[in-house]
Parts: sequence; structure tokens; C-alpha cells
Amino acid sequence: MTLDQFRKLAEIWGGDIDRWPAATQAAARDMAAGGEAGRILAEQLRLDRLFSVAPDVSDDRAGRIGFAVLQRLAKADRNPPWFRRLLRPASFVPAAGLACSAMVGLWLAGELPYLQQQEALSVVSMVFDGSAVTLWGVQ
Amino acid sequence: MNEDLSDEALMAAVAARQQQAFRILMGRHMQRAVRVAQRVVRDSAEADDIGQDAFLRVWSHAASFDPDIARFTTWLYRIVLNLAFDRTRRRPLAPIDEASDISAPDPEPVERLIADEERRALEQAMAGLSERQRGAIALFHMEGLSGEEAARAMNLSAKAFESLLARARATLREHVEKIQNPRRYA
Repeated sequence: MTLDQFRKLAEIWGGDIDRWPAATQAAARDMAAGGEAGRILAEQLRLDRLFSVAPDVSDDRAGRIGFAVLQRLAKADRNPPWFRRLLRPASFVPAAGLACSAMVGLWLAGELPYLQQQEALSVVSMVFDGSAVTLWGVQ
Repeated sequence: MNEDLSDEALMAAVAARQQQAFRILMGRHMQRAVRVAQRVVRDSAEADDIGQDAFLRVWSHAASFDPDIARFTTWLYRIVLNLAFDRTRRRPLAPIDEASDISAPDPEPVERLIADEERRALEQAMAGLSERQRGAIALFHMEGLSGEEAARAMNLSAKAFESLLARARATLREHVEKIQNPRRYA
């Protein structure tokens, strides 16, 4: 390993040879004993320390954020999206009731004898007076 | 719920909708998620939002986590970085956070002055990096990930991460030196 190669690696990976690619570490350690290589490492270590400074995130702040997450989860549970609400068992009751009524109606229509009697028609006419029904409502 | 369980075991419980496991995971990793987000977006309020969104994604996508492919932290970093990159793309001009938001150990007063100066220089210099370069610096230097782990978290090849880190360090170094020695660069 030449000094230039050593410098280039130090500029990429910093001043801690243990963090360099494994294949380069042994040769780098041999070279690090020299004065110039040692100076390069010291300079990079100074930058490493600076670059590793982290923004402050206190326990309290992290706790508040975590609490906000749990609140959002609880809210999402209370107000699920419409497609989830549709898939709930309770939401099937009206549709199932309607379907059952329709099936009973169809079954009755098929099973009962069809008798076109004048009296029966007159009862229907009395209930649904066609002349009294317009587009705008019952007169 | 046993608090000594590994992250991966906790994730299996989260996938089974056990909220206690989820709380433990948040307690362990919320700080690092917000820290990385803040380093990339350079805004504490946005970093908080990203922390929330990241863990909501952990909850809703828990079933898709595969411990054979990645460690939980790698997966979490990837979620956080994707959210942070999305936000910086939508908001090209990011505000610079106050240097007081940076954690400091407790050095001697004179050393602290120098350290504060350096930290301010770092914050200003960070503004000169792309969001991906800030991500690389955050993972490799701040979080102490190896090059391979950081590359996986950023969904990059080892070579691509190496060149990203090299550019980030070179740019940062140049900016820090410019800020600290303005006369030399005038």
C-alpha cells in the first residue's frame, strides 16, 4: 500500500482503521506506524469526531413521539376506512336482511298459484291508484 | 412481554398485533430514528413527524419484515431515510436548526466554546450536502454502522455507498474548513 492509497482510504473511511474494508486493514496498520500516515489518521480522526456529533433527542421527546404514534393507532382503530367498515359483520345485516326478503318474495311468487281474479285486481287498484300517481308525487 | 427479547422476536409479536411488543420497540429505537431523520431533514419538528410515520409503517408493514433478509435496525433506517428523502424532495430549501439542538457531552468551558463553534460549523456545512450524503454521514459516523450495513440501509451497493461517503466527507471537510478559516478561502 502506498501513502497515497492510504490517504485516499483514510479520507473515505476516516481515521479508525478498524472501520476500513477488511481487505485493507492489515496493510494499513503496517503503514500507520509511520509518521506521515499517523498524521493523516489523526487529522481524519478529528473530522470523525466532528461528523459523529448527533442532534439531541431527549428521552422525553422520544416518549412524546411514541405516545403520538399510539394515539394515531387508537384513532385509526376507532375510525377505520370505509372499506374496512364495510367488511365488518354488522355491516352485512341490512344487506343480508334485504337479500332474505327478496328470496322469500321470489319463492312465494314461484310457489303460490297465479289467479287473475277481478276482486283481487280491484284491491290492488284501490291501494295503488294509478291515476292518482304522477311524477311529482301522490295527488 | 419480555423486554429482553430481540428486535426480530418483537417484530414477530408486532406482526401478530401485540401492541406491548410495539411499545418496547419504540422505546428502544425512537431516539435513533428521530436522530437520523433530523440529521437528514435538519428540522426537529419534521424529524418528529418522520419518527411517527416511520413507526406507523413498522406497525402496518410488520408482516412484510423478514429477519432473514435484514436486521430490524437496517429495515428501520431504510424506512426513516425513505421518509426523510421524500420530505426533502418536497421541500428543497430546508431551514437550519439551531445549534442548541445538538447534544454536547460536558467539556471544560474553553473546550466547550471550541466544540460549540465546531458544531455550528458542522450544521452549516451539512446544509451544503445532498440529503443522501447527509444520510450516509448519519449512518456511518453518527450511528456507527459499518460500510456494508449502511449500504444495505440505503439500498445501495457497497461501491456506491463508498463513493457517496467519500464525496460527503470531502464536501463536509471543505465546508467546515471554509467556515473555520474564511480568510483562506476569501
